[in-house]
Amino acid sequence: MTMTNPNDDMLDGLFAQARKTTAAPSDDLTARVLADADAMQPQSTAVATPQMGLWARMLDTLGGWPAVGSLATATVVGIWVGVAPPSSVEDMTANLLGDQVSVTLFSTDLLFEEEVLFDG
Amino acid sequence: MVNAAVPAARTGADGGLAGVPPTSANCHTGLSWLALLQMNASPDPFVGAPDAALLVAYANGDGQAARSLTARLLPRVLAQATRMLGNQTEAEDVAQDAMMRLWKIAPDWRHGEAQVSTWLYRVVANLCTDRLRKRRGVSLDQVAEPLDAAPSVTAQMQTQARMTALSDALAQLPERQAQAVSLRHLEGLANPEIAQIMDISVRSVESLTARGKRALADIMAGRKAELGYDDDEPE
Repeated sequence: MTMTNPNDDMLDGLFAQARKTTAAPSDDLTARVLADADAMQPQSTAVATPQMGLWARMLDTLGGWPAVGSLATATVVGIWVGVAPPSSVEDMTANLLGDQVSVTLFSTDLLFEEEVLFDG
Repeated sequence: MVNAAVPAARTGADGGLAGVPPTSANCHTGLSWLALLQMNASPDPFVGAPDAALLVAYANGDGQAARSLTARLLPRVLAQATRMLGNQTEAEDVAQDAMMRLWKIAPDWRHGEAQVSTWLYRVVANLCTDRLRKRRGVSLDQVAEPLDAAPSVTAQMQTQARMTALSDALAQLPERQAQAVSLRHLEGLANPEIAQIMDISVRSVESLTARGKRALADIMAGRKAELGYDDDEPE
């Protein structure tokens, strides 16, 4: 016959009984835990957009790259028409103003005259 | 979705099934939150993912991660608290508190430092010993509250009385002994795991559990007759 302490036997029996205890969380507890989780959850960082730079904001205001492309084309054409106006434009200005008006940005005549002056 | 589904499921269980005897099968028609969580979660996008990954997903704002973590961890947390405290209401409070601490620590969780389950065992053990400490000044009759409010069977009542007595006896132990004994004998964990949870050496765990169990046996010996053990034990 093995000598065992009856108190230990009782305790081991109690431990075994306790280990069998399973606790299914009640609806109320689960709801409370999920409410806590919801309240404690940090705001999503995945959807946060990065701060836009000055250039990006200007581009955005103008309507993006397609709009900026059109704007640049129009600007270049405007300058071109100003520098070397087609004959139709010259005719139109002549009709409106009664005289032919030509605009040159770089006056070669003036340069020539200055050279003449220097030479003279 | 879940909020709307629960009352509907309950109404069906209470109102319907007239004449059908209350078997365990149709009792489950009153779907619990947990069951609904598991059903709604299918397919669970986190199947197979470690708890720590879910915690990171939660910290990044993923709502589903909280549901999956709750479904995974809450039953175990509640069971540990119930075994240590022997009181349903107190165990639920501790379980909610432990989960709250998990939600709080989520943004600062460091990978590889500890497992979520290990961390939770520690938190629950600490919260339970805090509660047990407060019991020391209270008479046993005041805390010997039945787990089930409507006990029907004498055996159930006796089991409950024994579980409460065990918990009260744990409350008489020094806190570290109570934690080591509960993790070893109530949770059935191995000494190395307990050492990790309690952040002590395996040798210390062995010493704490041995001394704790001896002290517990002495305390419980005084309540043998009261708990109906004299009838079971041959002289």
